[in-house]
Amino acid sequence: MVLTDEVSRTLFAEYAAHRKSDRGREEIGWVLLGVREADRAVVLATLPAGAERDAGEAHVRFNSEAQALASRIVRQSDRRLTLLGIVHTHPGRMRWPSSGDYEGDRRWVSNLRGGEGVFGIGTFESPNRTEPTTVGGHPREHILTFEDLRFDWYTLAGDDKRYRPVPLELTLGPDLAMPLRAVWPIVETHAARLDRLARLIAKVRFEISENAGVPVLVVTVLLGEPGHQVRVLLERKTVRYVYEAGDAAFQADLPAGTAPDQGLFLLLAEVVARP
Amino acid sequence: MDFRPLNELERRNLVTALRGNADGNRVLLMDPKDTTFAGTADDVPDEEVIHAIKSVPCHY
Repeated sequence: MVLTDEVSRTLFAEYAAHRKSDRGREEIGWVLLGVREADRAVVLATLPAGAERDAGEAHVRFNSEAQALASRIVRQSDRRLTLLGIVHTHPGRMRWPSSGDYEGDRRWVSNLRGGEGVFGIGTFESPNRTEPTTVGGHPREHILTFEDLRFDWYTLAGDDKRYRPVPLELTLGPDLAMPLRAVWPIVETHAARLDRLARLIAKVRFEISENAGVPVLVVTVLLGEPGHQVRVLLERKTVRYVYEAGDAAFQADLPAGTAPDQGLFLLLAEVVARP
Repeated sequence: MDFRPLNELERRNLVTALRGNADGNRVLLMDPKDTTFAGTADDVPDEEVIHAIKSVPCHY
């Protein structure tokens, strides 16, 4: 298995940030997207569990609606990306998946290409047991460490009796989901409606932008003619609608509280009603 | 340099992949060790990925 350097940095950085947060005693996790090749899997993107995850000191269930929409957005640039596995953390020093993990995972891996998944377990050492360091460690072929944090990596196929440690390589490369972090609260707020929109309309594109330093998730629906499109600009608390027709652009004012997909269809109805 | 002739199945797979690359921009995989053809990476449908994401079980 191969991790890109940015994927590895994301996991360590977000795990460290999580441990310092108000919910730091809870378990946390990520979904891993990547490419399956003939004899290896390359992890190219991490989708976070999300603020709306269900988690405690002994369990974590991800906000899968947000992750589903995020997968659509990330995969716009590479349709080969598939779900390779997941990472989650344990509060103590249990550096392998639990029996409860096994019961769920051994059935779940049948949903993955190749019928096999990769699983990372994040744990930590108490600070007085670790030496200060500025570089990560690779003490065994399936373990990565950085400061007081550690990830142990395994694979599991549906007919396996136990998880198998998997050798890891690091290579230069991106975390393709990193740009999504800026708009993740927007993704979580509107995930179900935007995912449904993407199922209903084929020519939908999602982009991450900013407006005066504020992150914006832009949803663009291409209309039939060149240069004609409708854009929905989602900020944390506002939604704006723009109709572009060649060189002209019109901002539509819709009633406050209109859901973004509803607003989009209202605007489309207005556009088609015009001569 | 090895000019080993391909067998019929290898030849057919390579020709299909080259046509897919030329016609549909499909990705050709290469073995990094010896640069031999290593197949193609098929596109994965959105719904397959989303089904897998939505069925991720609770972890303990």
